Amino acid sequence: MKQQSKFSTNQQQEQAAESHTTKQAAKEFESVERLLRHDAAQTVVPPAIAQRLRESLNEPSAPRPPWWRRLLD
Amino acid sequence: MKEVGPAPQNPVSVEHPVLLEECGDLYERHSRAIYYLALRFLGDPQKAEDATHDVFLKAIRNMDQFRGEASARTWLYRIAINHCHNLRQAWHDRHMFPSSDSTILETTVATESPLRILETKELGGRIQTALDAIPPEYRLLLLLVSDEELRYEQIGALTEQSTDAVRGKLHRARKAFAAAFAKTE
Repeated sequence: MKQQSKFSTNQQQEQAAESHTTKQAAKEFESVERLLRHDAAQTVVPPAIAQRLRESLNEPSAPRPPWWRRLLD
Repeated sequence: MKEVGPAPQNPVSVEHPVLLEECGDLYERHSRAIYYLALRFLGDPQKAEDATHDVFLKAIRNMDQFRGEASARTWLYRIAINHCHNLRQAWHDRHMFPSSDSTILETTVATESPLRILETKELGGRIQTALDAIPPEYRLLLLLVSDEELRYEQIGALTEQSTDAVRGKLHRARKAFAAAFAKTE
C-alpha cells in the first residue's frame, strides 16, 4: 500500500514535470510573431550570398535599356 | 524657407565597380531579415539565396535612389517584396510548386547538437508547411509583422494598404496560420 502510494506520488511528480514542460513550450511561442521571430533567429544566411554579391559588384553592370524598351517591358 | 530633405546616403555610381565593404553595414544589418522573408515567402532555400543576392545587388547599385525618407530596412523590403512577387508569378506561369520539406530544412545552424538540429528542422518544416497553406498575402503580412523593426504604418506602406486594413488582415492571418500550424502536428 505504502509502495503504491509512493508510486502514485512519483507518477504525480512526473505528470507535474511533464505539464510544466508543456506549459513552458507553449509559453515560448505565445504568438505567431514570436514563433516566426524564433524561426528567423535560427535561420542562417548562407555565406555564399556575400561572396556572390562581391563578385557581382565587381562586374560592370549591364547598360540600361532605352526608355522605349522600358515602357514596353 | 523650404526645408531640404536628407541627402542620399552613400551615393554610388553605377559606372564603377562597387565593393560590398563600401556599403557600410547594409548587408550585415539586413541580410538575415531579407533572406528570411525570401526563404519563408518563396519556400525554397536556393530561390531565397538567389533572391537575397539579387535584392542587395539591386539596392547597392541603385543606392543613389535611396532618399533616406524610409529606413534602409523598409527600402530593402520593398525591393524584396517586388522581387519575390515577380518570382512567384513566373513560377505560377510555369505551373511549378514549392519544394519539399527536405530542401527547406537545410537552413539550420551547423554548430548545434544533432538533437537541437532535429528540433529546429522539425519546427522550420512545420512553419513552412503552415505558411504555404495560407494565402500569400497573409504569409507576407505575418513575415513582415514578425520583424520588430517594422511598424504597422510601414507594413501598410509596403503592402499598399491602410493601417486598419493591415490590422484586420493580420487578425485573420494569425487565425489561419494557427489552424494550419495545428494540422502539422
